[in-house]
Amino acid sequence: MAPLLAGITFVTFSLTKALPGDPVYGMVAERSSPEIIEKIRKELGADKSVVRQYAGYVTLLAKGELGRSYFTNREVMADISVKFPNTMRLAFAAMLIAAPLGIFLGFISAKNKGRAADRIITMLSVSGISVPVFWSGLLLMLLFSLRLRYLPPSGTGGIRYLLLPALTLSLPALASLVRVTRVTVLDVIQMPFVRTARAKGLSEAGISLIHVLKNALIPVITVIGLEFGSYLNGAVLTETIFGWDGLGRYAMEGIIKRDYPVIMGCLLIGTIIFISVNLLVDIIYHFIDPRVRLHGSER
Amino acid sequence: MALSGRISAVVIVTVFVLSLISPLIVPYDPDAIDLDSLRQPPSFRHFMGTDNKGRDILARILYGGKISISIAVTASIISILIGISAGMLSGYAGGAIDTVVMAVVDLVLSFPAFLLAIGISVIFPPGIYTVMLALCAVGWASFARLIRGQVLSLKEAAFIEAARALGCSSLRVVLVHLIPQCIPLALVMAGLRAGGYILTEAGLSFLGLGAQPPTATWGSMISANRVFINSSPWMVLFPGTMIAVTAICFNLLGDALKEKFDVRT
Repeated sequence: MAPLLAGITFVTFSLTKALPGDPVYGMVAERSSPEIIEKIRKELGADKSVVRQYAGYVTLLAKGELGRSYFTNREVMADISVKFPNTMRLAFAAMLIAAPLGIFLGFISAKNKGRAADRIITMLSVSGISVPVFWSGLLLMLLFSLRLRYLPPSGTGGIRYLLLPALTLSLPALASLVRVTRVTVLDVIQMPFVRTARAKGLSEAGISLIHVLKNALIPVITVIGLEFGSYLNGAVLTETIFGWDGLGRYAMEGIIKRDYPVIMGCLLIGTIIFISVNLLVDIIYHFIDPRVRLHGSER
Repeated sequence: MALSGRISAVVIVTVFVLSLISPLIVPYDPDAIDLDSLRQPPSFRHFMGTDNKGRDILARILYGGKISISIAVTASIISILIGISAGMLSGYAGGAIDTVVMAVVDLVLSFPAFLLAIGISVIFPPGIYTVMLALCAVGWASFARLIRGQVLSLKEAAFIEAARALGCSSLRVVLVHLIPQCIPLALVMAGLRAGGYILTEAGLSFLGLGAQPPTATWGSMISANRVFINSSPWMVLFPGTMIAVTAICFNLLGDALKEKFDVRT
């Protein structure tokens, strides 16, 4: 985790250094005197060596300092901490839709391998990973908000506002969960312990639930963790379309105005959330699968 | 190969060829503004209607297809080449080189891909080369990891040992014996990845980080026209359908190749 954090901050630092334009000019008003510019440059440490600048950057990050927006002059960290809970709410809502439905459909698909149900579910899951979220979001909005007028088209708020963006965001994750569940269930079905269970006369439902699904769920949990990245990726587009006041829309506004501290702040925070979720998944793994504990040292 | 894979290949090639010869099919310039025919619904004059500047949607879609498909395919090929080189180096050399290359791969994969692509796109002037750079910079890492895995399992195989016993140099073993073994895996990955790149390119264009206006791309058409979705849905429906169809075809092609070559990704 620590080397990874060092690497991630190094990448965001390099991207920040590579940004066009001098950050000092972004902070001072027009027609500032050369002395003021020089003073700010000293404060930023722009006259020191790159290594010292990186050290300064990491120190600032450790204090929770991501710089100030070029346009509003508000602290990026303060803005992000306001918008972060909204994005998490959206991501969890999307996960609540994607995980159960994805596992269920993947299971049905595997149990009916080669039949019509499997073909239809497979085709839908390929479509799910191929349709861009900003388009499926617009279509859902057109249908449910603008034509049928069931739900509000945009805004941040309760469940009525949450439903459409969460559904949109869940589609790609849902589709890839279906694919992974299908493959792992097909693998587990062939295992000798399933044959044993069948041989000792267990009911087909009992085999499915206790033996197959329980074992198939283990890789699926990893994918649920990895899909968190796709929620963060998709959040930029989905939140923009539905006017959901989260990190994604904040990043989008930063992109339009070329507000670099905002963009880099969102990239860094998004990545830290992503690796934290995956670390959490690894820990959960450790508890639910005794094989990982035994083989952990070999990996 | 499965029927779905063949149909997909035909669809992709057809869309691309049509986009190359689009001036012969559509008598309209994709960027020509026509104030007499603003936001016209689909008709025989304009099969997919016109946008809010009177530009023909079909002409713009075909023009955008040329850009989107070229970017996705070129970026896939470049990512594979980088991924194969890094994976081969890492898997075959082992030791410290392996540790360093894999550390970089892990680092790239620890970013949410689209966010990193955005971070890279904003530091360069927007355009198709920036998009390609962003796609490759993010996309090569998973290739490298898969190829490394393949090399590690092949390295101990009898035919490699035989080649070495016959006195082949390391370079010859890699070029003549290892790389051909990795081609099926690379093809499968390329198909699936091109589908992902179509979506990422469209997403970046949607955010204004792709080819700049007035150049038409599928993503930027949706972005520019989305305010008209209620009154003139065709302006958003057709470009989105093209993105979805192309991405579905690349994914089906990848899946079909996966079954044909029997590889796991």
